[in-house]
Amino acid sequence: MKTKYLVGFLIIVGAIAYLAWGGLGNSLVYYVLPSEYAENPAKYANKRIRLGGLVKEGTIQYDPKTLELKFVVTDGVVDIPVEHEGTPPELFKDNQGVVVEGRFDGDVFKGENLLIKHAETYQAPPEGGYTPEEVRKLIEEAK
Amino acid sequence: MTPGMLGNLGLGMAVLFSVAGLMAAITAWIARDARYVWVARRAALVAFLGTLTAFGALEWALLTDDFSILYTARNHTSASPTWVKFATLWAALEGSILLWAMLQTFYTWLAGRKMRDYWTSPVALGTLFVIQLFFLVNVLFVINPFTPVPNPPADGPGPNPLLQNHWMMAVHPILMYLGFVGLSVPFAYAVAAMVTRRYQTWVAETKWWLIFAWGFLTAAIFAGGWWSYEVLGWGGYWAWDPVENASFIPWLLATAFVHTAMVQERRGLFRSWNFALVTLAFAATVFGTFLTRSGVIESVHAFAGGPVGPIFLGFLLVILAVGFALLGRVSSEVRDVGTVNLWSREGLLLLGALVFVVMAFVVILGTLFPLLVEAFNGAKVSVGAPFFNQLFVPLGYAMLVLMALGPLLPWRKADPETLRVVVWMTIALVLGTGAGLALGWTLWVSLTVGLFLFNLVALAWLIWNPIARRSRALGSVRAGMSAAGWSRRRYGGYLVHLAVALAALAIAFSQSYRLDVQKTLEIGESWQVAGRTITVHALRAVEEPHRYSVIADVEVSGLGTLHPRLNYYRTSRTPFASPAVAYTLGKDYYLVLQAFDQQNSQWVTLRLVVTPLVLWLWVSAILMIIGTAMILWPSGRRAARPSAAGEVTA
Repeated sequence: MKTKYLVGFLIIVGAIAYLAWGGLGNSLVYYVLPSEYAENPAKYANKRIRLGGLVKEGTIQYDPKTLELKFVVTDGVVDIPVEHEGTPPELFKDNQGVVVEGRFDGDVFKGENLLIKHAETYQAPPEGGYTPEEVRKLIEEAK
Repeated sequence: MTPGMLGNLGLGMAVLFSVAGLMAAITAWIARDARYVWVARRAALVAFLGTLTAFGALEWALLTDDFSILYTARNHTSASPTWVKFATLWAALEGSILLWAMLQTFYTWLAGRKMRDYWTSPVALGTLFVIQLFFLVNVLFVINPFTPVPNPPADGPGPNPLLQNHWMMAVHPILMYLGFVGLSVPFAYAVAAMVTRRYQTWVAETKWWLIFAWGFLTAAIFAGGWWSYEVLGWGGYWAWDPVENASFIPWLLATAFVHTAMVQERRGLFRSWNFALVTLAFAATVFGTFLTRSGVIESVHAFAGGPVGPIFLGFLLVILAVGFALLGRVSSEVRDVGTVNLWSREGLLLLGALVFVVMAFVVILGTLFPLLVEAFNGAKVSVGAPFFNQLFVPLGYAMLVLMALGPLLPWRKADPETLRVVVWMTIALVLGTGAGLALGWTLWVSLTVGLFLFNLVALAWLIWNPIARRSRALGSVRAGMSAAGWSRRRYGGYLVHLAVALAALAIAFSQSYRLDVQKTLEIGESWQVAGRTITVHALRAVEEPHRYSVIADVEVSGLGTLHPRLNYYRTSRTPFASPAVAYTLGKDYYLVLQAFDQQNSQWVTLRLVVTPLVLWLWVSAILMIIGTAMILWPSGRRAARPSAAGEVTA
């Protein structure tokens, strides 16, 4: 009697585990920096990812009429153009740490969700812009 | 006397008397003398009065704008309206844990009033004293809100704007803690049961506490969902955020336990399982705090970290170790009376409980998975809603089937009569699903409609059958109705089941058919969308003491004028959008002021989210609370209690 239930229980647990791991594989969203993407673009083709980085200075184009937002995300090494539809959050501005959730469409990243990384202490960038190491540090801090 | 001094005095008193109470409980256990239990109960009352004093002292500091202590200096501002000042006590970590400690001492005292013997009472009371000492020592020594500030500021930054944006945030944490703390009493009784080797009666003795805690957890989760809907501005009520999951895991485990506790009470089965489940459920309340306060998990709520995370993790491990070590010690002698036939009420109750435990496991896995992946290969991942939905949809269907069948089947063995009802229920299921598909709804939504009807037929039969049987015997429906009697507990359980089925329907529709659009409109311009005309009439600004608001007057044809707004708090760089919702029985129209023309006030950008049946989710929450209250309400006939108790089928 006891073994019967044990077997039944193991089957249920097994089924759930299979579902969970299979399900997890498909619904994981990777957090990627632009240079990580550039190393291996094929890995992220058609996958939902979260692209992290800083908004490159002077690249923001926003038209409130059409709600089209274009900007470039950079980690100081690689630049990636991003297109997003919708109002940018209030804190969205040059050199702000952002995370864009979406997919790549060719070389352009189509954002579906735009998040600002709150670093409550905002600092003006140094003369000549950030070095890649500084950018990486800023992104890490802002996370 | 200052609030800081009074607060520390109260906390010190609470710690001292908790230690004294613990000593008295231990003495009672060793000496086998019930008089020391009496002493411990008195100590519990004094400890509660101590935490109540500390609670009052912190309210005193908040309401009189005393910034000489750490908590007010960091989390309070004199510009807050009075209700925000009052609720600021639980707007940040230190105050929340003080509230938790206060409720824990209150429950210890309340639960202690029933404890009189020298055998199980000392252990149960001692366990409760240890639990409350954990919180008290934390509040007094680790995160003391009354720590004096050397140079008191003239004013503080105020609580998190998200929390003062809606009155529900003043209520939600209290509901949550009332639920969390309530689970400590069944746990303490379970520990006592395992130590004193009385494996059966503890479940019946703590049933009231369990259902009480379950009711508050339910209320808290729905209140949190409603807050999220009304405040966060994305038009949803649940995002599988770690903070939400932290409250959901204890609820799932408590729900499983509510059901198998019934089986143990009635049939003496699943005793080991119940010991394990109550340990997990209580541990989950601490796990939630660890998760949200430790900073290990990224969350939109992003609470402050500090030393509390590791301390709570340690406490969590202690709870699990104590619970399972005791269970391991006695498991060979914990025997069930009889065996389980799967096609019976107890069999389905077990399956239902398994579904809830698996759900809890899925939530834990999904919440912790990012940590595991990062630990193993350094990749940063997030587990999105698709993962949870993928698993919760089939599990939810299993739950809907089991919850309809469970109350129908008699204990021990199914009878042929119930099979006839199941045929009718299946017809309803097929018709409902077919009608849904014919109307063009998705398979999942149609199936939910079918299962809703499946439940409805079952509940109708459950209510009607006893009346019909007696009517036949007595010759009139009226006589049958009065003879069938009014078993409040049983109908309370049915009402909760009905509400859960209704919630499933609301969730299926609102998740599947959602319209989410944005548009920039000139002032005076109209927008034809979702069968309505939306017109922006004006954009205006309002100045309040604690904030500055920009408000759009937007007319939605047939539903009146809505006022979505952006609130600017003094202490925050970002504005907080306060959506405006037109609730209707069919669809909700949810408007968010996304942006506005800051130079000339010529245009606004609006976000419109149209979601069907969301209102019914809140209705189902109210029904669940009413159902729980019906179960809990003391029955007038004391003698009838034991038999009525077994019939609760929630």
